[in-house]
Amino acid sequence: MKKLLLTGIFSVFLLGYLFAQSRTISGTVTSSEDKATLPGVNVVAKGTNVGVVTDIEGKYKLSVPAGVTKLVFTFVGFVTQEVEIGNREMIDLALEADTKQLSEVVVVGYGTQKKADITGNIASVSGKEVQNLPVTSFEGALQGRAAGVFIEQGNGKLGQAMKMRIRGASSVSASNQPLFVIDGIPVTSQSQSGSGADTNPLADLNFNDVESFEVLKDAASAAIYGARAANGVVLITTKKGKAGKTKVSINALSGVSNPTRRREFLNAEQYLSFYTEALTNAGFDQAEIDDFFGFYAVDTDFKKREVETNWQNEIFKKNAGFNQLDVSLNGGTDKTKFYLSTSSLDQNGILVGNRFQRQSIRLNLDHSITDKLKIGLNMNFVRSYNRRLAPDNEFSSPMQIVALPPITPVRKKTGQLVDETDGLPYYNPLVELENAYYKTTSFRTFTNSYLSYEITKGLTARGEFGFDMLNQNEDRFQGTVTQAGRGAGGTGVGTSRIVQVLNYTTKAYLNYNKTLSKHAIDITGGMEFQRSQTDRTESQGQGITVDQLQKLVSAPKITSGSSELTGFAFLSYFARANYKFNNRYLVSATVRYDGSTRFGETNRFGTFPSISAGWIISEEGFMKSIKPTLSFLKIKGSYGLTGNAEIGNFSQLPLYNGVGYAEIGGIRPNQLGNPNLKWEKTTQVDLGLEFGLFEDRISGDVTYFQKDTRDLLLNIPIAGTNGFATQFKNIGAMKNWGWEIGINSNNLVGELKWNTSLNMTFPQNQVTDLGGLPIIDTGGSRYMNVAQVGQPIGAFLGVEYRGVDPKNGDALYDLNDGSGATTTSFNTAFRNAKILGNPNPTFYGGITNNFSYKGFDLSIFFQWVSGNQIHNAAGLFMSSSGYYEDNQTTDQLRRWQKEGDITDIPKATYFGGNGFAGRISRHLSDGSYLRLKTLTLGYNVPSNFLKKISLETVRFYVTGQNLLTFTKYTGWDPEVNTDFLATNIFQGVDFYAAPQSKTVTIGLNIGF
Amino acid sequence: MIKNIKYIVFMLVFCSLLACESQFEDIKPTAGIEEKIALSSDKNIKSLLVGAYDAFTGSRLLGGYYQLHAELLAGDPVARDIRWRGTFADPGEVFTKTMLVTNGDASAAWLNSYNAINVVNTILANLSTVNEQERATVEGEALFIRGSIYFELVRLFGKQYNVNTSQNDLGVPLVTTPASLANFVEAKPNRASVAAIYTQILADLTKAEELLPTSNGFYANKFVAAAMLSRVYLQRSEFAAARDAANRVIRPGSYTLLVDYAFCFNNIKNTVEDIFAAQITVQDGVNNMSTFFGGRNIGGRGDVQVLAPHLNLYETGDARRAFFYTDPGTGRIHTGKWKDVVAANINIIRLAEMYLTRAECNFRLNTSVGAPPVEDINRIRTRAGLRALATADLTLDRILRERQLELAFEGQRIHDIKRTGGRVGSRNFSDPKLIFPIPDREIKSNANLTQNEGY
Repeated sequence: MKKLLLTGIFSVFLLGYLFAQSRTISGTVTSSEDKATLPGVNVVAKGTNVGVVTDIEGKYKLSVPAGVTKLVFTFVGFVTQEVEIGNREMIDLALEADTKQLSEVVVVGYGTQKKADITGNIASVSGKEVQNLPVTSFEGALQGRAAGVFIEQGNGKLGQAMKMRIRGASSVSASNQPLFVIDGIPVTSQSQSGSGADTNPLADLNFNDVESFEVLKDAASAAIYGARAANGVVLITTKKGKAGKTKVSINALSGVSNPTRRREFLNAEQYLSFYTEALTNAGFDQAEIDDFFGFYAVDTDFKKREVETNWQNEIFKKNAGFNQLDVSLNGGTDKTKFYLSTSSLDQNGILVGNRFQRQSIRLNLDHSITDKLKIGLNMNFVRSYNRRLAPDNEFSSPMQIVALPPITPVRKKTGQLVDETDGLPYYNPLVELENAYYKTTSFRTFTNSYLSYEITKGLTARGEFGFDMLNQNEDRFQGTVTQAGRGAGGTGVGTSRIVQVLNYTTKAYLNYNKTLSKHAIDITGGMEFQRSQTDRTESQGQGITVDQLQKLVSAPKITSGSSELTGFAFLSYFARANYKFNNRYLVSATVRYDGSTRFGETNRFGTFPSISAGWIISEEGFMKSIKPTLSFLKIKGSYGLTGNAEIGNFSQLPLYNGVGYAEIGGIRPNQLGNPNLKWEKTTQVDLGLEFGLFEDRISGDVTYFQKDTRDLLLNIPIAGTNGFATQFKNIGAMKNWGWEIGINSNNLVGELKWNTSLNMTFPQNQVTDLGGLPIIDTGGSRYMNVAQVGQPIGAFLGVEYRGVDPKNGDALYDLNDGSGATTTSFNTAFRNAKILGNPNPTFYGGITNNFSYKGFDLSIFFQWVSGNQIHNAAGLFMSSSGYYEDNQTTDQLRRWQKEGDITDIPKATYFGGNGFAGRISRHLSDGSYLRLKTLTLGYNVPSNFLKKISLETVRFYVTGQNLLTFTKYTGWDPEVNTDFLATNIFQGVDFYAAPQSKTVTIGLNIGF
Repeated sequence: MIKNIKYIVFMLVFCSLLACESQFEDIKPTAGIEEKIALSSDKNIKSLLVGAYDAFTGSRLLGGYYQLHAELLAGDPVARDIRWRGTFADPGEVFTKTMLVTNGDASAAWLNSYNAINVVNTILANLSTVNEQERATVEGEALFIRGSIYFELVRLFGKQYNVNTSQNDLGVPLVTTPASLANFVEAKPNRASVAAIYTQILADLTKAEELLPTSNGFYANKFVAAAMLSRVYLQRSEFAAARDAANRVIRPGSYTLLVDYAFCFNNIKNTVEDIFAAQITVQDGVNNMSTFFGGRNIGGRGDVQVLAPHLNLYETGDARRAFFYTDPGTGRIHTGKWKDVVAANINIIRLAEMYLTRAECNFRLNTSVGAPPVEDINRIRTRAGLRALATADLTLDRILRERQLELAFEGQRIHDIKRTGGRVGSRNFSDPKLIFPIPDREIKSNANLTQNEGY
């Protein structure tokens, strides 16, 4: 009994002890997303003010007072979580990132703004979304990911210029590329290439360093960039350091690339029979025919069918390697934070001889001198190297190899490559690849620094200074046996070209924001100055007799040399005021006053205002009842004026240039001046609706836009009898309008997560005035793109091909005179030439589906372009009924051969000219495509396992780029625009352009 | 507050970086000068004259395309004397006589010719700036260039001169005043008549001959103008004037026939036979005759292939026949006249042509100004290694054949066919397809122009 009593007393005592005493609970807090430990998380016993902050390893230890049953974990950027203690002593927790909160702040011109408060139209893509994609430049990664943003890589050659159109093309003669701003500095984005193939200076940026991309689409968001905002503005913000334990992230990526598609050409047997027919039809006798083939067979006997060459095999690399390694560190204290990264990319092109390498180091540093005074510096040093190929229209371009006959051996019996000097119809590009190089090396520095000072609460002054230095060296050598070398009397030709672009920006501005009860204002104003100076030096020499001596130092004959300095400057003043009332009524106005050296004395400065307003309807009292369903609803509208200044630096001046005759210096009139030259003006209306359903499980937006551009900076054709072909004038107008739709949906939110995001754009473009001219047509006989009033820019003008006369195999052209009759004369038909198609898509978009389950994640991204046509201008050679001796595409097998044949391919006649015309619908086809752009499958190793090896995250992933393409286009790839021709007007033209690459990579990401 | 002032000063120093270079004034083109400076001095106008020669001998003019077009128009795809083997569609259309109004070569010929005319018009309008002692020469050279270009234009875009119809036949717009670059006003002129263009050509060249000195380096001198004048008169079948002009070139003995025909071509300096040649150096100009006529083995494109029907025209033993060569790679035969793409001059007028012109005119007129026609013809024949002809054997056909072979692939053929009423295959010399279309881009930008017949 006593024993029992004692036990009872002890038990009560013990219970009392338990109840009366606080408990100690410990654990580790991690981020659910990357399993990284989170330092600085507030852990509070609910209902008390007892709490601790997690240490540098995310660990905490807390004495919980008696009676407390829950712990509350809070951390900026993460969803606050309450956890039942129960009888646990150890509580580990993974915090969910608050994605809504993160995306709430958006970078805008000269500042940031809460997403819900934005009245303009900004497409935001987080850096994370495009991280580690196996592409060279960020534009390639952004393709299809934002509504209203059309991106096209015209060619599969690496590091080449990309087309980016934000809400269409607004200009005929000035650039239609957006303004690119990296960390506040407008950067050099124009090609500095010395060859006909433009390169992309933006490929110098390692986009894994990017935190976010913001595309300013409408006037309200872009007009603060005034004279250069008509094509939209792309703001690129790089990653910043975060206080806490230094985190290391290592990412290794490795894979292979292959061409997306191949084109089918005749084999040796087919070639022989096709050309025997074509030559016979041209009146050649058997001896002449044998002679013809004999030459192309070089030292082999075509009659014995000794050779079967598939030339595409010779230029497409099999499994071209892709390797990238990124190491980044991120950390710091409350006062000083840093982000440091190094990256190395080595990408082999799908074409032999094409390679791109990039090494990049970045340091982003932020330091608080005092609570009010902050200073920061972003520095990025990059070396990029591009082993380049000739432009598409040169015989030395690898893709032109397909013109060579399949009966020709690659090498002669001596082992030497066959060449045109052996009787080939054309130069063999392999000779160029083996005996020449064309290397472009760039050293790039993106730097910007800032100093900001909070003068009083809410009033901050900020000064920034930054520069973008581009040093590009193009080094080319063409050996003694190359085409260029033969032209130099069988000696080597060397070229050296150096371009330095120093581009710097300084700015100072004030920001004031204040909230007074229901009124919130945010005002920004300041000035900016930018100056860019380009220094070019080029020289060429020949006479090199030893192929190993490849630099100009060995060239006894310097054949040309030149240097030039050019530049421009912008001086700008800008201001913005945002006003919000009662969290639901939003008004904003911006203005920029811009001056540029590019314009005439009389029109040097221009003013670019915008206004916008929004109404968050869902904040209204009357919406309360339906708020669970319609969780967010906002309507907004904007109107404003933006400009385009992207013309040459001195287009307004009446200039004479230096020339030479017989090595005596002279001058010649070079361009007509125009003292009144000024900005091209675009007014834009934007009407949008944003919504969220079911507590924002589904969110989206619908926008209508209309851009009206007038006073086009048009290099307008004038009567050539004046001595000039064109003059730059502010004349003409163009219009873009359309719809943009974006939808995000969290379809499943449990352990198996599935979300979908969809964006769609329906753009229209129309040239409305060309200064009284009905049309600008510089297509000549080969190309069809024109600017014609009432039509989209670049529309294809030509003659409708009506097939083949079954009687005689003649090609028939539509007369287009209303009679429905046809003619065999292209010239006659061309008198009534009509618009045959449009190179601009009328519908494009992308859809991403992300799935995650436990450690696995899967992302499937499709992108499409529709409603556009492609003109295969090379059809004139490769699908031309044997006009030339080029190998033909297999469609020529169904040519007309005898009376009664019903076909669309005319009778083959060597140099016959039957159906041989550039501007006919015969070579035009539907350019729509749907592409499985990116497929990523990843696996995150569980954190409890990783802890044992002191790692925070380990992720394995496989990424496929351009895995599947669905299209009716029979060429290499429907995403095409040949490089040597590409302009605002010349679009959608295929001329031996390299196909896109299909890349599969495996990656490993380690964090600790 | 004191603490704050420190930071504000810091801030101001930082921002002073900004303001210091906010200027525009020093941003000026380095590759060009403004018009008012360009036309301000004697030296500059003379530099402009060098620029005029640069334009006149540019790729699209005497740098090769003028002559290429004349030869391709004269080539007959059916007779197969030559064949265009190139992939450039535009010259291909010229050869097959299927030119489109959008033909790029037609518009390039037009634009570049008028561009060059504008240069010389600018010189002529600013002669008062030139030092008095050199003014006549500068004027003479400018007039020579202008007259020569109009001569090419009217032959390319207009009908053959005919004394009865040329008043009404459309030539090309006649522009004799320069465009002001700084205060430009676009002019949209009509096509002047063929006769009016020839009147201008004769006036320009006649005055040029009068003004120019007898010696002027490789630039135009008195004899160059006279030689061009003889071509113009010959084109108009004004044989006496053509003969006399040719005689004015030959008689003073400034030029001599080279001993060997082969020595006449592919020279980096003018020879004693060259009256006028486009100067091509490694640095300046391109020899596009070699680009198109030259074989690939010498760095050309090998585009113009010479075929048997042409080769068969030469008599046995003709050195000019032996002058053709076969590209061992392609097996194509090419003329040996154009074998240096980079540095050889392009012969424009050789003394041989003056002998041929004088002979033809003397023969037609039954005169012997300077020399009897047989003597002139035999000079050409014996130099080519052929036997001399007896006076009795000389016929007009023989003279014309001699001219065809001597000047083959030098850009004269179609013009000779047209003036002698010949044929190109099945086409009569007056076939509208032997004339270029007025470029489509020009018609579209100048509504006052009328398109040629057949286009």
